[in-house]
Amino acid sequence: MTKGVKILIAAAALLFVGSLVWILLSFRDSDSTIVEVVQNNKVIYTFDLSKEKDRTIRVNAPDGGWNDIKIENGTICISDADCSDHTCVKTGVLRSEQIPIVCLPHRLVIRYADKRDS
Amino acid sequence: MKTKKLTRLALLTALALIIFIIELQFPDIVPIPGVKLGLANIITVYAVYKYTAKDVFLIVTTRVVLGAIFGGNISALPYSLTGALTCLAGMLLIKRAIPVNFIWLSSIFGAILHNTGQIAAAVLMTGTLTVLSFYPFLIAAGCIAGAFTGICAQLLIKRNITDDKT
Repeated sequence: MTKGVKILIAAAALLFVGSLVWILLSFRDSDSTIVEVVQNNKVIYTFDLSKEKDRTIRVNAPDGGWNDIKIENGTICISDADCSDHTCVKTGVLRSEQIPIVCLPHRLVIRYADKRDS
Repeated sequence: MKTKKLTRLALLTALALIIFIIELQFPDIVPIPGVKLGLANIITVYAVYKYTAKDVFLIVTTRVVLGAIFGGNISALPYSLTGALTCLAGMLLIKRAIPVNFIWLSSIFGAILHNTGQIAAAVLMTGTLTVLSFYPFLIAAGCIAGAFTGICAQLLIKRNITDDKT
């Protein structure tokens, strides 16, 4: 085992452990209720989940495609979409400030609003 | 390029594509874009250690582009292509420092670089830094997946299944 290999093993182990710690830290429920929907880096909707009525909104992507955003009992999720991978639907409801709902094909992001702005 | 070599590269690409398409049938384990085993990269790692940089580049780009078309997921192409190319560039460099017994290690770095490229592409495409929050998931998953594909490739290479004497 050469010195270079040892250093690289240590670097890989460090990255792995570091990312695990980061993941654990990011699993915290948010106490904020302000949620924003961002498309192509522009905020297109802002919801206060504690005040919103249950409803479903269809968001059309500029290149033709859609995502159905569902608000229910103070939670928000993408209930259906016509994107190719459906990752956004499988993500489920928005829980953490660190983990947004992302639909990469439609460049749509749902996240908790930054507290510094609100 | 000699016909023989062309055939070998084509065969490797075909193999990688078959693995890629079979893997598409696996259900997603985690609902995070970009997290997958990446079994087709067994071929990439194998090729990195067995062929020249130019050959690997040809294999990987062909596989990624055709894979996106066959898998019906062309919108993901920018992400996978940037990922694949960052991974390739990094692995070709790192391979010099890592002997054959530690191929799994260079594969781990390949996976991490792949995910880094993907995330960078996603940040550019969505124009938000929000997707960066997936990065730790991608690194952790990449370490595991990279180690796995790396061990597979290492076993292949150490058995020395070459086509030199045919």
